[in-house]
Amino acid sequence: MSSAIVTVWRKELRDAVRDRRSVLAAMSYAFFGPVLMAVAFFFLVSQMTDDSDVKIDMQGTEHAAALVEFLAAAGIEQREEPWPTGRQPIALEFPADWDAAIAAGEPARVVFNADFSNQQQRAEISRVTQALQNYSQQIAQVRLLARGLHPQLMQPIDVVRQDSATKGSRAALLLGSVLVFILLSVFWSGMNVAIDISAGERERNSLEFLLSQPLSSAELVAGKTLTAASFAMFGAVLSLVIIPFVFTYVPLERIGISVDLAWQTLALMAVMLVPLALFATALQLFVSFRAKSFKEAQTYISFLLMVPMLASFGIEFARIKHQALYYLPLTGQHQAFLDLIKGEPLNVFAAVASAVITLLCSGLLMLGIARMLRSEKVVFGL
Amino acid sequence: MISVQNLTKSFGDVRALDGLTFHAPDGQITGLLGPNGAGKTTCLRTIYGLQKADSGQALIDTVDALLDPLAARRLIGIFPDKFGLYERLTAQEQIAFFAELHGLKGAERNQAVTAVIERLGMTELAHRRSAGFSQGQRMKVALAQAIVHQPKHLILDEPSRGLDVMSTRILRDLLRELRAQGTCILFSSHVMQEVAALCDRVVVVAQGKVAAEGSPDELCAMTGESALEEAFVKIIGTDEGIAA
Repeated sequence: MSSAIVTVWRKELRDAVRDRRSVLAAMSYAFFGPVLMAVAFFFLVSQMTDDSDVKIDMQGTEHAAALVEFLAAAGIEQREEPWPTGRQPIALEFPADWDAAIAAGEPARVVFNADFSNQQQRAEISRVTQALQNYSQQIAQVRLLARGLHPQLMQPIDVVRQDSATKGSRAALLLGSVLVFILLSVFWSGMNVAIDISAGERERNSLEFLLSQPLSSAELVAGKTLTAASFAMFGAVLSLVIIPFVFTYVPLERIGISVDLAWQTLALMAVMLVPLALFATALQLFVSFRAKSFKEAQTYISFLLMVPMLASFGIEFARIKHQALYYLPLTGQHQAFLDLIKGEPLNVFAAVASAVITLLCSGLLMLGIARMLRSEKVVFGL
Repeated sequence: MISVQNLTKSFGDVRALDGLTFHAPDGQITGLLGPNGAGKTTCLRTIYGLQKADSGQALIDTVDALLDPLAARRLIGIFPDKFGLYERLTAQEQIAFFAELHGLKGAERNQAVTAVIERLGMTELAHRRSAGFSQGQRMKVALAQAIVHQPKHLILDEPSRGLDVMSTRILRDLLRELRAQGTCILFSSHVMQEVAALCDRVVVVAQGKVAAEGSPDELCAMTGESALEEAFVKIIGTDEGIAA
């Protein structure tokens, strides 16, 4: 690497690191993003796996002490406080002849009163139903055993339930948004630096002098791209480090998701993000070198940010599948990350190819910027 | 030696340079004097290859900036039209950055930076970030950036803009000192007194052409006036855009 590139890189890094706004911008995304996401997930998980006690009205509990004890063990208890408004009472009523019916081997009657169409109470109602069925089955098994029969006689078929519905797709949604977040970190974290070293350079009137120095515009652009990309990678690595740490506090295993992010996986992700960071910052520099001021550049860049956001969220949630996605910048890294996080073997050829293609695109963008900086129309805004 | 031959340059309908030709010899201070909009800045930018002339040639010694801009820029120090400083860097760091771009490394670079800082009497500024610098202090940093690599040619675009008396004196002393060392100095100005006080040769530019050329005394003699200001007005035919 030419020494002019290193000189520019070092100077710009020193300059940028002293800029609180740039450092904060890079760090805040990496810090607050995962925390916010974790909080959202935390609530989602606790909502999905609410196993607090169900409190219902029970009458005649003195007639069916054994059942009441069984229910209590299943977390269903006598309600002391009144029902909140908008909730229909759920009630069980045990008749006085309960014990007698059980002893005689006749069906003992229990009245289960609730609004069975109420969506909000569906979980509670089904838990009560389940508990009653379990108790009924238990009694039946005891009765069969007492008569010398194997309880399996009562189980002619064995249904193996495999739930592929809500929990599974929710898990994919959760992990998908984490991936998109990581991918976008390279676009967010270097943004402020990219604007400052391009449009900012012009705004503070130092661009002309810099361009009059004995270094080629390609070297200048390379040094500047490396600077912004360093910041982008700083933010990305920070996100990668913080995400697994934060997610240890989210009980994802309770909804059947295992986020197994070994450090090797994270390191591999960081490596795959390097070409993307170069691409993202080259793109941002390309746009903001055309702007006359920091503010103007910020406007353009925010529009520009929509592109990767829409692309990655669109692919993630519309579940688009196409071979080309494996090779393009951004989507290539996205697909590789999806494979990694699902624990599937990485498509090495596609990953390398997309890295090379991403680097090529960044190189072309950088050449484009260098060419732009040789044009007096762009430099002096003529 | 800087020589400009028959430069032309148009922006749309406006002819900024219209066959401009002059020489700035080594060991002399050449002033490019002209009203605002006469094409001075465009001419200087063409010399160091930041703008391209439509026709004609600008040479630094024997190097044409149009053909080999990097080689041309290695031979010169530039004090540009606009000099923005990097406000988060100290004066010393900025000067060192430009010294490095000119190929100075390690101890050699540090020595050059220290020397120029001492020469411009800005030792107490050296380790301060330039955010709060006064106009005069900024000028010193820009000047230090321009001469840290000890160029054989120095090009200054309106160097005394907004300077107080003390800063102007420092600038003039420095330019005289560099001249004594054989540096070729070319600067543009629209300030008469500055040109009269400093220049060995004056090139009067108006509407992209050389209107007259010579030492201040020669110009006065040429027009039959005793003061350069009067001579100047006579040469370009108007006193518009000139500061006394």
